[in-house]
Amino acid sequence: MAVDSTAEGAASSAARVSTDGGVPANADSQGDSGQADPPVDSIVGTADDGIVRELGHDDFDPVGTLVLVLIYMAILIGMWVFMYFVEFLGRGLTVVG
Amino acid sequence: MATESGGSEFVDTFPDEAAIIKASFLIAFVSLGIGAFFGLIQALHRTNVLRVIDSADYYTLLTGHGVLLAIVFTIFFLCGVFHWAVARSLDRPAESALFSWAWVGLMTTGTVLATVAILGGLVPNLGMSADVLFTFYAPLQAHPIFYIGLAMFIVGTWLAGADWFLSYRAWRQDHPDERIPLQTFMVLTTMIMWYISTLGVAVSVVFFLIPWSLGLIESVNPLLTRTLFWYFGHPIVYFWLMPAYLLWYTVLPKLAGGRLFSDPLARVVFLLFLLLSTPVGIHHQYLDPGIAEGFKFIAMTNTMFLLLPSLLTAFTVVASVEHGARQRGGEGYLRWLGALPWRDPAFTGMALAGAMFAAGGFSGMINAGMNINYLIHNTLWVPGHFHLTVGTAVALTMMAGSYWLVPQVTGTKLYSRPIGLLQVIMWFVGMVFMSNAMHRAGLAGIPRRTAEPQYQNFEFLTPIGSIFELRVQIALGGTLLFLSVVLFLFNILLTSLGEESDRPVDSYLPEPLSGPEGSPRILDNLAMWTGIAAVLVVLAYTLPLAGIIQNGGGLFGGGLPVPATVSAGFDLVLTTVTSAFNTLWGVVA
Amino acid sequence: MEIHAYEKLWLALALVLIVGFIGTITYGAAGAGIDMIDDKGGTVDPATLDQHPKFGDPGIERNGENSYDVYVVARQFVFEPGTTEPLRVPAGSTVTFHVTAADVIHGFEVVGTNANTMAIPGQVAEFTVEFGEPGEYGMLCNEYCGSGHHVMEGKIVVMEQEAFDSWYEQQQAQGEAEN
Repeated sequence: MAVDSTAEGAASSAARVSTDGGVPANADSQGDSGQADPPVDSIVGTADDGIVRELGHDDFDPVGTLVLVLIYMAILIGMWVFMYFVEFLGRGLTVVG
Repeated sequence: MATESGGSEFVDTFPDEAAIIKASFLIAFVSLGIGAFFGLIQALHRTNVLRVIDSADYYTLLTGHGVLLAIVFTIFFLCGVFHWAVARSLDRPAESALFSWAWVGLMTTGTVLATVAILGGLVPNLGMSADVLFTFYAPLQAHPIFYIGLAMFIVGTWLAGADWFLSYRAWRQDHPDERIPLQTFMVLTTMIMWYISTLGVAVSVVFFLIPWSLGLIESVNPLLTRTLFWYFGHPIVYFWLMPAYLLWYTVLPKLAGGRLFSDPLARVVFLLFLLLSTPVGIHHQYLDPGIAEGFKFIAMTNTMFLLLPSLLTAFTVVASVEHGARQRGGEGYLRWLGALPWRDPAFTGMALAGAMFAAGGFSGMINAGMNINYLIHNTLWVPGHFHLTVGTAVALTMMAGSYWLVPQVTGTKLYSRPIGLLQVIMWFVGMVFMSNAMHRAGLAGIPRRTAEPQYQNFEFLTPIGSIFELRVQIALGGTLLFLSVVLFLFNILLTSLGEESDRPVDSYLPEPLSGPEGSPRILDNLAMWTGIAAVLVVLAYTLPLAGIIQNGGGLFGGGLPVPATVSAGFDLVLTTVTSAFNTLWGVVA
Repeated sequence: MEIHAYEKLWLALALVLIVGFIGTITYGAAGAGIDMIDDKGGTVDPATLDQHPKFGDPGIERNGENSYDVYVVARQFVFEPGTTEPLRVPAGSTVTFHVTAADVIHGFEVVGTNANTMAIPGQVAEFTVEFGEPGEYGMLCNEYCGSGHHVMEGKIVVMEQEAFDSWYEQQQAQGEAEN
């Protein structure tokens, strides 16, 4: 358990996603009596029900994230240059002493 | 393990903690409702759309809006989240439920006292008011019970922190060699930052403002109390933000169907906040006389480096969400965004809050830039900025998080998922209108904190659009935001009155993709990090504070001299270090 | 400690961004010559402001060719000068403002410009700006200072040199007559 920072085991994680890439095995560990399996995403926090494949640490490169943050940085730099050199330095009555 | 046995939800495992959390959330949500109502009146009043109050009373409501939302709502919600996170991640109840109730009680009493003092301002001839706004700069003076209430509230948060440290200490005795669980690590580092930073406001309130408001001392040094406020006033920003970060790091990946990308980096981020949150407060005082430029430059450098943990968070959290999208079948560079569970209000609310925070990050960078601060200082740009940060990144994350957390402590299912979804989207849209208009109005020179839209001597000009259009956007945005809060409170109220459910939410949290095991153990050495944080604070604040006391009329203003013996030796130190700073500044410039 | 290559790249870019921001600000200070409000204005006793040689009768003073000092007192809810009568300065002049507050903390903002400072009792905010063409600026208090905060405003009139000179001489003559 020393590796587990959220105090829940890796075993339970594996149990929640079927290994054949098919239907998630989420509801079967629940003790719900007389309740049908909820439809996908029906209650808060059930995104796991829609998992179709499990990606481990080595299978995942966050390339989409890299694209997003690079777009963000381009916006930041463009806006900064505009705000500093046009909006700010372009104004009258600047404090010079 | 809570998730292994059916029906064993948080409320069943930790009934006492669930009760504390429910009480904290209740007070947070009542404050949210009142504060949001005041916000609506302000938005309509200052845009001249609907006027139901006198302009002089605007500031009473503005004080209530700031105190109830920025202090009471955020911090009571934080207490609920942190109490949940500590019990959950350590898998043990608090050491004493009585002690927990003590801090809830103390904070509540403080809240009631401060609120009574503020609302007293609406009653003529009562002789009680606190129209000093959330920043309570002296020499504006509030009724003593405002300051006393505030002091009680802060002492209450100290006790709450003690509660979580006691839990940690007990857990440590049973688990001598384990890494601190991530959520507890986040709670503890945040609280250490809070202890360091509240020292400033405690000194200001207890030694200066309370005696002064009671008439025991004649005057205060306005620049000193203002500087002590901002010593606390910037870290409180991160105190609001850290529960949102805790939810983004530990809950949002799960809501997306993924896992946290990196546990060690999350720890690094929280440590950076612990180190850098406090020695930056002077960046709120860039345009204050009486503080040397060198100190302002140091505060700016620290502030700019404080961007680092937030930029790292952007990557780590988005990558965790992307992991969820890929697991749910998402493909492509950006198409994976469509594979996210957008129908879940908890996920969507947090994701929109994060997107807004990215925009707020930009306007914060402008605020932080020492000389560009002239452009926007005390204009409507500033509330435009913090309605994106505390008003959306924090508030919307808290509301969205509530859809997942509240059912865990009530044991009842969320009343309506579609209403929740509508609510978070309404908040987002309302804030897009209000905040973008506020930013642009600020660039036109329209000041913050004023009751009137127009002045006699001049007209405000905006290069694009019109001032009228900006006012309409602010009024419309404010109305949508208020309606969003009404929907939220309605949904939460009906949730708490609902029938008990065995599985109110899916409360399971997956482990991170990259766990803490590979990270250096020194990250968990809280004593060492506390020491470094304290040293940074001493370096950033000793000389500015000494200069303010020395030059600005002593501790209490009004020209009380500093004793000669202190002053002689001190002069020497001050001259030496200032000249060193000036030389350094000369080299840099 | 393992960090993904993309995140390392992002970390490096973030650091470059931060250094770039600090560099821009430093350029503004050193290259564009923007000075900060700081402690050079010194301090003043707010209780005896009326007897102060400058703030006792605040206004504009010539201190050299095309160079002036302006003393402004902010108090609930007026600027002196500025509110009851406009603050007059000549076109094309260099003006050093000295702003302080008599009662509570105020703000001093020349609307639509970068001239913006806090006015704190006991402290003097000193800053210099250069005025160009004749015209008018609005000024307002941008720090909440009490129930009448929203009426605290004024006007700066930038006058033609000749018109200013005759007005200034008249002021001087009046001042001497009163003394």
